[in-house]
Amino acid sequence: MADVIMPKMGDAMTEGKVVRWYKKSGDAVKKGEPLLEIETDKVNLDLEAEQDGTLGNMAVEAGQMMEVGGVLATILGAGEKQAPAASSAKAEPPGPARRAIDKKDSIKKTTGEYAEAIDMKAPRIDRTASAATAAGPQEDGGRRRSSPLARKMAREMGVSLEQLKGSGPGGRIVANDVKNFKPAPLAPQKTKAPSLPPIQKLETKDIPLTAMRRTIAKRLAESTGPIPHFYLTADYDVTNLLSLREQLNEIEGIRTSVNDFIVRAAALALRHHPNVNASWGDEAITQHGEIHIGIAVSTPEGLITPVVRNADQKSVVEISSDIRSLADKAKNRKLTPNDYQGSTFTISNLGAWGIEQFTAIINPPNVAILAIGAATAQPVVIDHQVVVRDRMKITMSCDHRVVDGALGAEYLRTLRSYLEQPVRLVL
Amino acid sequence: MTEKSYRDAIRDAMMEEMDRDPNVLIMGEDIGVYEGTFRITAGMLKKYGPKRVIDTPIAEAGMVGTAVGMAMLGLRPIVEMMTMNFAIVAADQILNHAAKVRYFSGGQVDVPVVIRGPQGAGVQLSAQHSQTFESFYAHFPGLKVVAPATPADAKGLLKTAIRGRDPVIFLESAALYGMKGEVPDDAGFTVPFGVSRVARQGSDVTIVSYSRMLQMSLIAAEKLSEEGIECEVIDLRTLRPLDLNPACKSVSKTHRCVVVQEQWKPFGAAAEIAASITETVFDELDAPVARVTGEDVPMPYARNLEVLATPHEKHVIAAVKKVMYANG
Repeated sequence: MADVIMPKMGDAMTEGKVVRWYKKSGDAVKKGEPLLEIETDKVNLDLEAEQDGTLGNMAVEAGQMMEVGGVLATILGAGEKQAPAASSAKAEPPGPARRAIDKKDSIKKTTGEYAEAIDMKAPRIDRTASAATAAGPQEDGGRRRSSPLARKMAREMGVSLEQLKGSGPGGRIVANDVKNFKPAPLAPQKTKAPSLPPIQKLETKDIPLTAMRRTIAKRLAESTGPIPHFYLTADYDVTNLLSLREQLNEIEGIRTSVNDFIVRAAALALRHHPNVNASWGDEAITQHGEIHIGIAVSTPEGLITPVVRNADQKSVVEISSDIRSLADKAKNRKLTPNDYQGSTFTISNLGAWGIEQFTAIINPPNVAILAIGAATAQPVVIDHQVVVRDRMKITMSCDHRVVDGALGAEYLRTLRSYLEQPVRLVL
Repeated sequence: MTEKSYRDAIRDAMMEEMDRDPNVLIMGEDIGVYEGTFRITAGMLKKYGPKRVIDTPIAEAGMVGTAVGMAMLGLRPIVEMMTMNFAIVAADQILNHAAKVRYFSGGQVDVPVVIRGPQGAGVQLSAQHSQTFESFYAHFPGLKVVAPATPADAKGLLKTAIRGRDPVIFLESAALYGMKGEVPDDAGFTVPFGVSRVARQGSDVTIVSYSRMLQMSLIAAEKLSEEGIECEVIDLRTLRPLDLNPACKSVSKTHRCVVVQEQWKPFGAAAEIAASITETVFDELDAPVARVTGEDVPMPYARNLEVLATPHEKHVIAAVKKVMYANG
């Protein structure tokens, strides 16, 4: 939409006359096409359309005057409608604001004979005093009025002025407003989460190796050993997850660990990225039709990874009970091969040992493993405020033959949507 | 310490300096035989004789011109103006000669002259004789401008003025002549120029003033204290040199400032003070620096109108509440 404006054709020009309209309301106009003829003190000239569209909202008839800068008409683009009621001042016959100007009247005004009228119609603006009170607080993205001290305090406290209401004149934010500001309880961070993929039938299938994939695999393997590892670390806000776990554990008979939630989150995230739930073969990469999460468990004899089968289809509580019984079996050396074989993805958690971050070695034939660190309370800046949140670092080791950097990063991002909005884990 | 009036403190300062230094003399209208319109010079003619206490014709330009010449040649004249309003007649001598001789002489010649006398409203002297001149004189480089608020400062600052190398405009408040206060007896007592003082401690608002308005501000501060608002009151003492360090330090604590001057708001001393404070401690201010000033009219003679035209405690109280956003 573009307004057709009465132009200022010289310093002395305050108004112009519409001589004639070449177009009428509703006519289609093309850019550069003359719309109307105007007459000024010095010249007559045509005003041209500045864009293609439909002429509308014509405010002045032929023979009438319009002040410089006044809107004569509007060119509506395709699909735009004439301004309806609220802003239809433009479409209405000239009202007081754009009243056709009587020349004699304006001359009288400048003589001072109508001094009172000038005051009435154009009250003097005291630019020092009324600037603040007349305009009021500007909350629509404009600059917020604030005292220098209030700004300094806000800077020091990490409070953004946008969050504050000003109690001073004209909505000025003063020191007391900053001092008395109580931050609203933090809403969980809203990251738009990918929707759960429909529970489709996952299938076991072979994806033939392409020449490129063979080359990538060969070169990476040659450079770093049988499995070319690379590592991605992400830092998650698990405040909500910890709180959810606490609530869940208040239910009698339920005793979940943070790791149980992570197992479920990791399994659900694999549903979004089946190409991480895979194995490398000389001829093909196998994507597995089931999600079995290996859990690294330490035993006196050494590390073993019992498997939570179909973890994506189990609730946190079911996962919890599975892991507990597997861990018991492991400690008592009662695991059967069925208990520890066939994982498609592995999780190793050293958080209980106070390890904040580490890298894990991939458990073949998996192509990725998550190394879970301890959740620690950290100062975090949210909305320009320092708040304490529980953070957890998770490092993903990937087999570069199968999982490229971007894929690993995408997986970790999906994982974030579960860990940071843990309500999705109980759906 | 002895309790003395502002008037006697000024006389003591002059007599002590005349005793100390034979080059000090005083000249003015009706200061000798008549002993001064405000009786500042009572007893001085008798004590020092007509060579050092000189009655002059009613000719201010001549008085100041003579004094500038004396000062250039090594004397230390004090010129008493019956009121500072009369010194306007001598403005050329003061501004174009006294203030500039050292500069024009390349620093070879000093003009140690003190031009002193009463100024200000409050004693029904009407439009021509109630004016204050601190912003007028303080505008000009080459002058010192002094405006004491207490008897002790009047004495100490006047002694510094007489002993100094510079032309000094010494502005006494006519309304304070009868005010009493403790004054040190020590003949060596002086108050240096360019050192403001904290006249009252407080934590909520800083009031900056001088001369009679300082006393008025202190009264306002006491009244505000009854309402739980504690004002810190800064006495500037001299406007040139102007020491705003205590004021800025105070504003850094209170974050609010009111400047009080007696006369008209436009281009007044309060404007200079407020602007300088804003420049220095902008980030500390929680409200614009407020000014309390007289009404923008020639001073009326009628008592009721004079009262309305000059600042009073209630104006200071209102300004303090305004910068505290306490008026609702």
